[in-house]
Amino acid sequence: MFRIQRIPSISPLAILSSRVIAVVSALVVGGIVYSLRGFDVFDLGANVIDSSFGSEFGVQDLGLLFSPLILTGLATAITLRIGLWNIGGEGQFYLGAVFATAIGLFVQGPDWLILILMFIGGFVGGMLWILVPALARAYLQTDEIITTLLLNFVAMLLVYFLCTGPWRDPHDTVTSATARVKAEMPYLFGDLHWGLIIALLLAVLVAAMLAYTKWGYEVRLAGSNRFAAFYAGVPVRRRLIQVMLLSGGVAGIGGMLEVAGTVHHLQGGMSNNFGYLGILVAVVAGGAPIAVPAAALLMAVILNGGIVLQSYGVSTYEVLALTGLILFFVAISEQLAYYRISRPPALKAGAGA
Amino acid sequence: MNDTEPAATPARVAAPSAPPVVQMQAITKLFPGLVANDAVDFDLRAGEVHALLGENGAGKSTLMNVLTGIYHAEAGQIMMNGQPVRFGSPESAIAAGIGMVHQHFKLVRAFTVAENIHLGWHETPKLVSPALLESRTAELAERFNLAVRPSARVEDLSAGEQQRVEILRVLARGARVLILDEPTAVLTPREAGELFKALRGFTARGYSVIFISHKLDEVMEISDRITVLRAGRNVATLPAASTNAVELATLMVGRELHPPQATGVGERKLGNIVLQLAGVAALDDRGLKALTDVDLALHEGEIVGVAGVAGNGQRELTEVLTGIRDVIEGQVRIGGHVMSGADPLAFLDAGIGHIPEDRLRSGLAPAMPVATNAVLREYRAAPIARGPFYLPAAAMALARRIVADSAVLVPSMRMPVRNLSGGNQQRLVARREMRVATRALVAAYPTRGLDVGAIETMLRYIVEMRDRGVAVLLISEELEDLIGIADRIVVLFKGRIIGGFTAAEADPERIGLLMGGRVAEADALATQPTVS
Repeated sequence: MFRIQRIPSISPLAILSSRVIAVVSALVVGGIVYSLRGFDVFDLGANVIDSSFGSEFGVQDLGLLFSPLILTGLATAITLRIGLWNIGGEGQFYLGAVFATAIGLFVQGPDWLILILMFIGGFVGGMLWILVPALARAYLQTDEIITTLLLNFVAMLLVYFLCTGPWRDPHDTVTSATARVKAEMPYLFGDLHWGLIIALLLAVLVAAMLAYTKWGYEVRLAGSNRFAAFYAGVPVRRRLIQVMLLSGGVAGIGGMLEVAGTVHHLQGGMSNNFGYLGILVAVVAGGAPIAVPAAALLMAVILNGGIVLQSYGVSTYEVLALTGLILFFVAISEQLAYYRISRPPALKAGAGA
Repeated sequence: MNDTEPAATPARVAAPSAPPVVQMQAITKLFPGLVANDAVDFDLRAGEVHALLGENGAGKSTLMNVLTGIYHAEAGQIMMNGQPVRFGSPESAIAAGIGMVHQHFKLVRAFTVAENIHLGWHETPKLVSPALLESRTAELAERFNLAVRPSARVEDLSAGEQQRVEILRVLARGARVLILDEPTAVLTPREAGELFKALRGFTARGYSVIFISHKLDEVMEISDRITVLRAGRNVATLPAASTNAVELATLMVGRELHPPQATGVGERKLGNIVLQLAGVAALDDRGLKALTDVDLALHEGEIVGVAGVAGNGQRELTEVLTGIRDVIEGQVRIGGHVMSGADPLAFLDAGIGHIPEDRLRSGLAPAMPVATNAVLREYRAAPIARGPFYLPAAAMALARRIVADSAVLVPSMRMPVRNLSGGNQQRLVARREMRVATRALVAAYPTRGLDVGAIETMLRYIVEMRDRGVAVLLISEELEDLIGIADRIVVLFKGRIIGGFTAAEADPERIGLLMGGRVAEADALATQPTVS
């Protein structure tokens, strides 16, 4: 007879391996479904890998998906550290893009200066978009999940309004977008810009701040038990607001980099759902900023692979279903990691009832 | 442990010719890094109360969890009435007649007593109505002679009533063996007396009771036999009639105890006022007035004991004194300086430590590692902080010292603090707060959940702090502890201080009356010459 036992604490290695198992299981289940639909799964898989890592273009495309996912993932992961959910990465991403575009279009100066101003503008734009939810959370205990989520739609409509209205490029009759922002992020190679490095550095920086500063200790403490943090003398309310503003700002930087490095103008729908996918990234990363890049890479491979899959006749929905499966399996693995199957020692002969 | 070794032969079994109701032989239960039970023998005869005595972490609960099928032992066997048994779950244990009443009640608070009794019970009729359930419950209550109100909601019941419902639930399911885990911890002395009467009623009818406790007096009062566990081993099984509290305490702790005495009370002169409340009123979390017109001064080098039944404003009193709760009237002063607003940091900086009433809610971050929790009050300054930075290695070093000083055994400093036993959490918090309490310590129930050995140590620490000139406010349910070490005792009733005594005047009977709010009777007692 086997017994299932819950164990009180598990090692980081166990957490990591449970996640790997979850992702692999999700891919296996997805693979079975795909093969039932008549696809050659191994052929598809090989193509996905090849298209992502096999060529310079593949790596470029992957990198362009990778950077914004790190930042939106990081935005949600930061708030998880203090026990909150920023679901509004999408809106903050858009606002970062709006501010960056405004600076890029309307401020004159050398490119390097404009880029720096755009960077600051992106950060501020994202912060402003989460300011009201942050204050409402800190002073009125308003659920930040609802407020940040709802503001996404406002941001999306705001961007449509700007692109079709006041900021519309009159020379462009095909798409509704602003004029091109002249300042461009420097490139690593091909289309892949330095935004990737900035995103990776930010992830490391945030993780280091949480682990190695007093501020980070206070944030972690407040995230674990707000009463105990208050008792310990932590200014809990101030930390809540700061963490949410930082989170919004990081998502805003994502929007800025998208404008300055990838899209080069403001355009409706330009977020590609990065804000929402960032929630997924944060969950797969277990809310740990240092694990966000790995989770974002996985998500980028899936998205990039999705484009390849579509060229093989797999529908968008089937690709999205795969991301859903991964989230589902990771969520389950998070719980299952705490259980262990053991076999009690065999009974002595004759002792069995 | 070598589990292929044949089980130790049943050791003592002396008088009774009938096999014991329950016999546990050489039970060994291992946890990672810990031998919780080491070849423990335990037997229970029909119609006896057998107490299981031991310090926190001695293995009492583990042994009972093995018996009721929650844990599986690595070695050993269990017999009931001479037949080997093996329970896969608490359900199969109760089917065999062993029922456990846990320390934390497992009742649905929004349901009535009758509904709780019938919940998840195979004998519950398929078609039910409140009237039917209530009449069935009334019948059961009468059969087992346990006074419960079948139609009352559990959330409206006192702890004692809830406990009766739990016991009735277990008995209704046919238990012949009743396991009670620290049953008196939540009861008033009067309720405890009623419980003991009920238990004697059960044993007279042939039921058996296993009584888990670390309170020596009540164990002496209620048990027929007593088994003492220490560090996972059975160190003795004794008839209650042939032992005494001192021997039990020594067996439990493994050394002799010397309870601290109030040294030279009255002769020492009081120091300056450290912490003072003047005309203070405060609200509780629901916005109701919890403290009214409280005047209280804590002097350097004195212990002020606060007596009172829990829930009469103790929590709010400690919170007002440590900056967690703001006052609505009056002043809080530290060394003459008036404090404004709720600002725990200011109180911490002024050298005021706080052992809070519910450590898991407000004194610890349960999911975070032991190390993180240990440095919770000292992370701001060197050596843990350097400028804005937090140095995990320095935090770990300090945490190790606090853990060592508090004599807590921790398998890993990275383990979440919630996995420590309640007593160990308490010791950790107490030690941490004593370090920062350079001027005053506000301690709410610092000995709660501790066993005799640890209580002795804790009280000695508090006395030592007092002797170093620290002002101590000590809130306790144990009147004896208060009278033993406090220089002054005040009585808190419905948020007011309704009496104050010096150590010399403190009379348990009068304090007891005041705790119940019976001021007139207490005063009457005071006018009479003291009977000695």
